[in-house]
Amino acid sequence: MRGWSTGAMLVVAVLAAVVGAGGAMAVSRRGGTASSTRAARTADGKPDFSGIWQALNEANWDLQAHEARPGSVTQQGVYPYAYTKVPAAAVLALGAAAGVPGSVGVVEGDGEIPYKPETAAMRKENGEHWIDRDPELKCYLPGIPRAMYMPYPFQIVQSTNKVHMAFAFTSTARTVNLDEVEPPPDDTYMGHSVGRWEGDTLVVDVTGFNGKNWFDRAGNFHSDALHLVERFSPITPDVIRYEVTIEDPKTFTRPWRISMPLYRRMEPNAQLLEYRCIEFVEEFLYGNLRKQQLVKRWEGDTIIVDITRKVPPGDQLHDWYRR
Amino acid sequence: MSRRTFQVIGVGAAVLAVVGLLKLAPVAGQAPADKSGTTPAAEGTTKAGPAGKTPWGDPDLQGIWTNDFETPLQRPSRYANKEFFTDEERAELDKQRAAIIGGDRRQSRGSEQDVGGAYNAAIFLSHKHMGKRTSLIVDPPDGRIPPVTPEVAKRRQELRDFQLALLQASDVCKNQRPGCDGGKYGPVSPRRSETPPSYLSTGAAGGGVINRSDNPEDRTLGERCMAAILPDFGGAAGFFPQIVQSPGAVSIFYDTGQGQGWQRIIPITNRPHLPPSVRQWWGDSRGRWEGNTLVVDVTNFTAKTDYQGSRENLHLVERWTRLDSNTLEYAVTMEDSTTWTKPWTIKQEFNRQSDKANRVYKEPRCHEGNYGMPALLAGARAEERAFAQGKGPNPATMCTAGCGGFAGGFADEGEEANPLAR
Repeated sequence: MRGWSTGAMLVVAVLAAVVGAGGAMAVSRRGGTASSTRAARTADGKPDFSGIWQALNEANWDLQAHEARPGSVTQQGVYPYAYTKVPAAAVLALGAAAGVPGSVGVVEGDGEIPYKPETAAMRKENGEHWIDRDPELKCYLPGIPRAMYMPYPFQIVQSTNKVHMAFAFTSTARTVNLDEVEPPPDDTYMGHSVGRWEGDTLVVDVTGFNGKNWFDRAGNFHSDALHLVERFSPITPDVIRYEVTIEDPKTFTRPWRISMPLYRRMEPNAQLLEYRCIEFVEEFLYGNLRKQQLVKRWEGDTIIVDITRKVPPGDQLHDWYRR
Repeated sequence: MSRRTFQVIGVGAAVLAVVGLLKLAPVAGQAPADKSGTTPAAEGTTKAGPAGKTPWGDPDLQGIWTNDFETPLQRPSRYANKEFFTDEERAELDKQRAAIIGGDRRQSRGSEQDVGGAYNAAIFLSHKHMGKRTSLIVDPPDGRIPPVTPEVAKRRQELRDFQLALLQASDVCKNQRPGCDGGKYGPVSPRRSETPPSYLSTGAAGGGVINRSDNPEDRTLGERCMAAILPDFGGAAGFFPQIVQSPGAVSIFYDTGQGQGWQRIIPITNRPHLPPSVRQWWGDSRGRWEGNTLVVDVTNFTAKTDYQGSRENLHLVERWTRLDSNTLEYAVTMEDSTTWTKPWTIKQEFNRQSDKANRVYKEPRCHEGNYGMPALLAGARAEERAFAQGKGPNPATMCTAGCGGFAGGFADEGEEANPLAR
């Protein structure tokens, strides 16, 4: 029953994500009054990355190539095969909005992630326990590189000595230090970023991770030995090539790379809005501790979510048949 | 300002609170002298250079900043006609506060007040030296927040009545502790099962704490790791805004509220504000340059925030001005005709911190380590089970952490014990 019961927890997160994505779009009735004479270069002659950006891919679902799935949580259907699964109860009420889009993947080379045998087993297990384990669902800090390709916009504020990146997701940030700074006193979710320019490419060395992050919703993960080298290169004024070399000898047998374009949000009124999910996940995290349950309850170690979908007259799917 | 911090910090942040203080708060007399000499060891000891410009010609506000000195938000009544402290008064206040910080003001061991006072004034009192000003408020000239409107007074009274109803069967009222001011001891109130009369937010009177943990929503925004709000004047818990600029935007990361930090972007634009249907915890900022000053207009707040009684109608006009290489002036006018009878303004000076020392903490963050919230809720459920089985007292007669209003760590003795309030 684990698949069903954990699957049921998903609905809260999915609803939050849907609401949040809508909010972040913020396309309003107004055209642009902003004086957006965007220079391709900054005052000190570097490529100008300032602005609002977003990845446009499926990497947050799974860095690797994958086919579309009928639900973010599934269970066995009529046939016993993996390719004939059906959506699990919790996401069923959301219909086609709860599925997972397919992707050709963002892992370079043969598309494989070079796990060690023991970490490969952990990766598989992670995938099977996604909603119990993925830090994204708890609104934890997303870490790098995941924050760069989550389905939320982020904003770069590029100065001379600092390149600051602000993320809509949980209103967090990272500062890429181009000047010499002391590292934080302890490891962190978002790591410690030190950057330099190599021609037109911003190269960022990221270390100091606490090892609690994942790369995606598929369960790809790393340890606290993670070391990233990110490369931001301009393709056009509105597209950045984002490449990351990922090294983690505790988890992988060799370094590997991902790459993807990041696109500028071109709406004249584009703006980073809040996605303050700490509030959104209170029911997910603490709902079972309420004095009176709202939508879920515990029976021993099993979580029960009651879903009632009332369809008002006129919206019933098969009215034509009943007539 | 420390007063505000007291009220936003929750039990949920307890462990972080202590760690944060140890790491962040300059202990009295130990303001760090940075090797590069950009951090003043004390007022006026470092020669400041002129305020600079960015390479693209905007005034340069960038860097890590903090308030090196303690200043009360409102002028204490005993300094009613004084805009500035004398040096002797500052020294005396430092002495009084140091005595509180160094003291152990525990109530009788094992009593509810003793447990509830685990976070006492020693933790939430600023360890910084007193500044020159007797209040952050510079307008009105009496240094006090203007009177609130009848609607806000009514909302506060309704919430206070609700707080008292939930306290009336506890020892706080039985023993007539300051937390029960305005109420009296009595039987368990049927109001214990009511929804609070207004959204339980944070901030000064009108926010506050209730003696109940039925839901996460019963607890303070601090305990929910959502305490950071605008405006933020810093406080005892450490306050380090980091500013990074580009030609079209000013970014501020607020390291504040012990792991409740957040990221703010101020677009430099003449675009109108977001539509009124879009409300945000930190509002909607629009910046423009007026000479050397960054002027920011902030609207579109949510009704879930509460700053001194002002909720969704809060309108801020912030003015950020670099006075010299070491000093950033922050002036804010608060306006909300549904809350105050007239606008009011504070002014504050921030001191530049060393970029190299990089003493701004984006982590640890309260939320990832919030063991306090499940513990509060699970503890309340355990008390209820014990009572149902005849193994414990009626939880409705008990007072758990933060009972009675949690007046900035002075709940056990009353606000009169705070040398910066009386």
